Amino acid sequence: MKLNIDGLLVYFPYDYIYPEQYSYMLELKRTLDAKGHGVLEMPSGTGKTISLLSLIVAYQRAFPLEVTKLIYCSRTVPEIEKVVEELRKLMEFYAKETEEVNNFLALALSSRKNLCIHPEVSSLRFGKEVDGKCHSLTASYVRAQRHGNPNQPVCRFYEEFDAVGRQVPLPAGVYNLDDLKDLGRRKGWCPYYLARYSILHANIVVYSYHYLLDPKIADLVSKELAKKSVVVFDEAHNIDNVCIDSMSVNITRRTLDRCQNNVDTLQNTIQRIKETDAAKLREEYRRLVEGLKEANVARETDVYLANPVLPDEILKEAVPGSIRTAEHFVGFLRRFLEYLKSRLRVQHVVQESAPQFLKDIFDKVCIDRKPLRFCAERLQSLLRTLEITDISDFSAVTLISNFATLVSTYSQGFTIIIEPFEDRTPTIANPVLHFSCMDPSIAIKPVFQRFQSVIITSGTLSPVDIYPRILDFRPVTMASFTMTLARTCLCPLIVGRGNDQVALSSKFETREDFAVIRNYGNLLLEMSAVVPDGIVAFFTSYVYMENIVASWYEQGILENIQRNKLIFIETQDAAETSMALEKYQEACENGRGAILLSVARGKVSEGIDFVHHFGRAVIMFGVPYVYTQSRILKARLEYLRDQFQIRENDFLTFDAMRHAAQCVGRAIRGKTDYGLMIFADKRYARADKRGKLPRWIQEHINDGSLNLTVDEAVQLSKHFLRQMAQPFSQVDQLGLSLLTLEQLESPEMLKKIAQIAHQT
Amino acid sequence: MASLSEEVLLVVKKVRQKKQDGTLYLMAERIAWGPEGKDRFTVSHSYSDIRCQKISPDGKAKVQLQLVLHTGESTTFHFANESTSRKDWEAAKELLQQLLPKFKKKANKELEEKNKMLQEDPVLFQLYKDLVVSQVISAEEFWANRLGGINNGESAACENKQEVGISGAFLADIRPQTDGCNGLRYNLTADIIESIFRTYPAVKQKYKENVPHNLTEKEFWTRFFQSHYFHRDRISTGTQDIFSECARQDEKGLKSLVTQGVKNPMVDLLSLEDKTLDEGYGISSALPSTSHASRTVKESSNFAIIKRFNHHSAMVLAAGSRKRDVPADQASETSSTDGNSRDSDFFQPPLKKVKLQEAIEYEDLQQENRPKTVALNLKKSDRYAHGPVPLQSQQYTTSQDIINSVNYIKHEMSNYKPNLTQVLSSAAASSAIAALSPGGVLMQQVAQQAINQMVPTEIQAELKHLYVAAGELLRHFWTCFPVNTAFLEEKLTGHLECMLQAAYSKFHIWQTRRMMRKT
Repeated sequence: MKLNIDGLLVYFPYDYIYPEQYSYMLELKRTLDAKGHGVLEMPSGTGKTISLLSLIVAYQRAFPLEVTKLIYCSRTVPEIEKVVEELRKLMEFYAKETEEVNNFLALALSSRKNLCIHPEVSSLRFGKEVDGKCHSLTASYVRAQRHGNPNQPVCRFYEEFDAVGRQVPLPAGVYNLDDLKDLGRRKGWCPYYLARYSILHANIVVYSYHYLLDPKIADLVSKELAKKSVVVFDEAHNIDNVCIDSMSVNITRRTLDRCQNNVDTLQNTIQRIKETDAAKLREEYRRLVEGLKEANVARETDVYLANPVLPDEILKEAVPGSIRTAEHFVGFLRRFLEYLKSRLRVQHVVQESAPQFLKDIFDKVCIDRKPLRFCAERLQSLLRTLEITDISDFSAVTLISNFATLVSTYSQGFTIIIEPFEDRTPTIANPVLHFSCMDPSIAIKPVFQRFQSVIITSGTLSPVDIYPRILDFRPVTMASFTMTLARTCLCPLIVGRGNDQVALSSKFETREDFAVIRNYGNLLLEMSAVVPDGIVAFFTSYVYMENIVASWYEQGILENIQRNKLIFIETQDAAETSMALEKYQEACENGRGAILLSVARGKVSEGIDFVHHFGRAVIMFGVPYVYTQSRILKARLEYLRDQFQIRENDFLTFDAMRHAAQCVGRAIRGKTDYGLMIFADKRYARADKRGKLPRWIQEHINDGSLNLTVDEAVQLSKHFLRQMAQPFSQVDQLGLSLLTLEQLESPEMLKKIAQIAHQT
Repeated sequence: MASLSEEVLLVVKKVRQKKQDGTLYLMAERIAWGPEGKDRFTVSHSYSDIRCQKISPDGKAKVQLQLVLHTGESTTFHFANESTSRKDWEAAKELLQQLLPKFKKKANKELEEKNKMLQEDPVLFQLYKDLVVSQVISAEEFWANRLGGINNGESAACENKQEVGISGAFLADIRPQTDGCNGLRYNLTADIIESIFRTYPAVKQKYKENVPHNLTEKEFWTRFFQSHYFHRDRISTGTQDIFSECARQDEKGLKSLVTQGVKNPMVDLLSLEDKTLDEGYGISSALPSTSHASRTVKESSNFAIIKRFNHHSAMVLAAGSRKRDVPADQASETSSTDGNSRDSDFFQPPLKKVKLQEAIEYEDLQQENRPKTVALNLKKSDRYAHGPVPLQSQQYTTSQDIINSVNYIKHEMSNYKPNLTQVLSSAAASSAIAALSPGGVLMQQVAQQAINQMVPTEIQAELKHLYVAAGELLRHFWTCFPVNTAFLEEKLTGHLECMLQAAYSKFHIWQTRRMMRKT
């Protein structure tokens, strides 16, 4: 259908529309008009992606000079592929309606592991191996060597792409990962480099967060993307953690040992080159004198180790003299390494700030701040000069030099914690140096600065106002949308008591309490008898789950559950869990029914949807607080308090509730779907917890279901499921939660829609 | 009494059968009972005829053992020896328990099925008697054709019969009971054993290897329940266990399942992340990876439980669907290897496409786009009903014609006016009626009795049998065409001819006998 969104003609590739989609597009349009940033929360399964795409594509077509590019960031590979497929649908609709040739180019970009078509390289299992092998075949000096030595192996796909691939831009169309690979095979071009090259002139790019947020990668891939782009972060409820992760470094003794080996190798290589080809080193020296900018003019394939900090701050200067020659630099690295080793030989926990660390290193081994800042860049140059092909071996020394650069660049927002042993095993020495980022805004700041509109959206972003605070930006729109429903297809229940009136809670004091564990087991058992097909249960952590499972086993609860459904359990091994998941789905599919025991914050809770019968009920055992004893977390909480005036408890609760909401939201993926959401902890009843759930869940919790016993919950569930089992057709929704174009344009509906968006 | 040279495995005296005291003999191939003081068996059942044994519950005053035969009959033995009845009964039961399964295989399902078929279908039974019992054709030939027929004709019905899956909790059903003196009692039924075997093929393997030459059945199961394998959460005490290998095999199976990967890309957690952080980056505030060495005993036992549940559920699931979709599975496996293995994906993994499409679909946003059914609009329904017909035989009346003629007749009838001047005289009419009545002049030629009243029923039956038998033979005969194997040719030239000959002569004999009887 064709919509009129605030004067903009939007093609929407469906015959009907949800009211909230219309409302969402209105808000989005406002954000784009204002050239500002936005935070939008809309329930999962209400067609967020297609609304986003429809509006932004329409905007791009209407104002090609205002918005030149859409950069759509999602979290997982399947998500990325889903987005591209939705886009394809939209483009097909455009082609059909306008009957003109579309000159839109849209493509997905992923890591080499997902795009490589080289028969040997692509058969490697891990992304790192693929990257390393690819580099060893495509680095510029490897290819240069081939001129002298035709036997030198290179990647024929890259060669072909390099020879002809750049001359003609990729024809317009929608390219998913598989389409790129197909094209690559047909033409004999490397799909990865083709995609990386094509994102510069593509209208829509879909890739993962890291390409924008991780400065090590962002610098390579996304540096030249136009400023007039709209950036969308979908599933952005965890965006702060992604930011923090990309800037944090951990150094163990093993890292240092491997780094030592790396430095030795470097030394030997330098020695050898000095004897055979001293000119090369002299040349490098000359380049470094001229400044890094020159040194950085290298081929795209070489820029493998990028700088962990943002380039502009550094590249204007020349490399300091003390590390300019290769030998001096290696000596410098050695000193730094020895210093780190000495720091790891501690008996007690040390926590210090970056300036303290710099002062200490200056006092002890006379290393200045400036050469440290250039460490990453200098290492990169050296590795290139030495023509080291297998760079993945040098990950340890790269890590150290990145750390050096980071610690000397940022004086704020980071903390250094050295722990001599793990808390759980105080007798085993296992020193770790955590250099952890506490301020997510550091990594995302350049994104906000550079692009004119950044949209942060997800199904669960409540409370919406906290994100601008922790990411330090000023949005022009913040809105939370509800799900309009013709029937109440979600049923949140808070189970606070067992049948014996024991208060249910996962809080620390009652964690080992037998009565609580038994009641939890009882809840699952009763539910397994009532709920059809699949049930997903989430625990607060692996350890907690393992303990509960063990005691359920001893009490015979699991055996009784097995009478009703099969049991699958998430483990820390991803491959094993994948198998369990597939079997779980199979069991739901064939009618036997199954239970999946899983962990909040685990991979399942973050990436897997349980649509329809794969998840008719989600049970959240306990409140998934993060492990609060961690020093890193404590440091971060302190930082949040001091810098952003966010109270520790507020943040912890916010964090726990967003994960809980993620978990329970996994079961509802649309308006035709239905599911129970059982919060099994009495603490959920409190207003401060409940109030942090997304609005679309919150508004269905009625006061009567705040502190249920297991039996009461079972009764309510039975009632709910019986209602849901009635036939539900499109006609039932029409006019309420599903609109035709005429209905949408009626004035009273427009008035209603205005209420859907909940401005904050 | 000792006239049989069979090996006698067990003799139990004072066993009552039908209120008669006697002796029960368990021999290598049969069970027999003879009344006291007589040297012959009044009851003798081959083990292969016995479907199952039923036993009286513990603690009942009468200690009894009932044998149920395949035919449905049953024989009850009452162990009457006051002092040792319980022991005798126990011994007989144990022995039978071991013997019966061995013979069960012999008395295979097929036989039972044939039996059932014959019972259910008297015509078939008669045919069987006519052809097989009188040795016109051999039993195998008879059944070869029949069973094939079953499978073809009723294959749909047969396959639709659902395979009964395994209860997920079958291990829970054998909850041990304490027997009061520091021992545990597990109650095993044939179903549970079957479940265990189907779920854990490794155990079945062990069972085949060890029972009965190394261990008795009882010992086997005792060890099974004692083993670390069964109590996987406990830490192993000895490695001498015969089941430790099973555990290892299971482990291997699980591992191979895991390495096989998953077919559905949407649940593949390994390839979920696009770009994982390199080692050393990120906040490892989550659990530091606990290596196996540093796990405490409790943790590793918890870990084992989790693994075990996953494995158990996977095996139960697999056992339920294993037999059904072997061919389908193979097909999908090959296609999935094509799709998933990374260097051979020259064509799209189709599953992935489908799953992606499924994932982005909003069924309620779309117009219902079920393929619209077009109402069948027949202009000439009679042509549809009759199909194309050769031109010359177009003499059928179309329904339209019939309707027309009915209308016509109706019309005629309504407009009928009796023409009373031209009716018959009453005398002529009554004579005509008399002539048309039975016995009248005009009715004499017509046979008054139907043939089925003229011929006595037993002759009819005989004729029918002969007819059916001849039909069956002819069916055999015609199924030989086209003659494309040596076997068929041999069948055709060799004994089928003889058979037809035999059948013919049989018919001939019957005919002459009948003639004789008539004259």
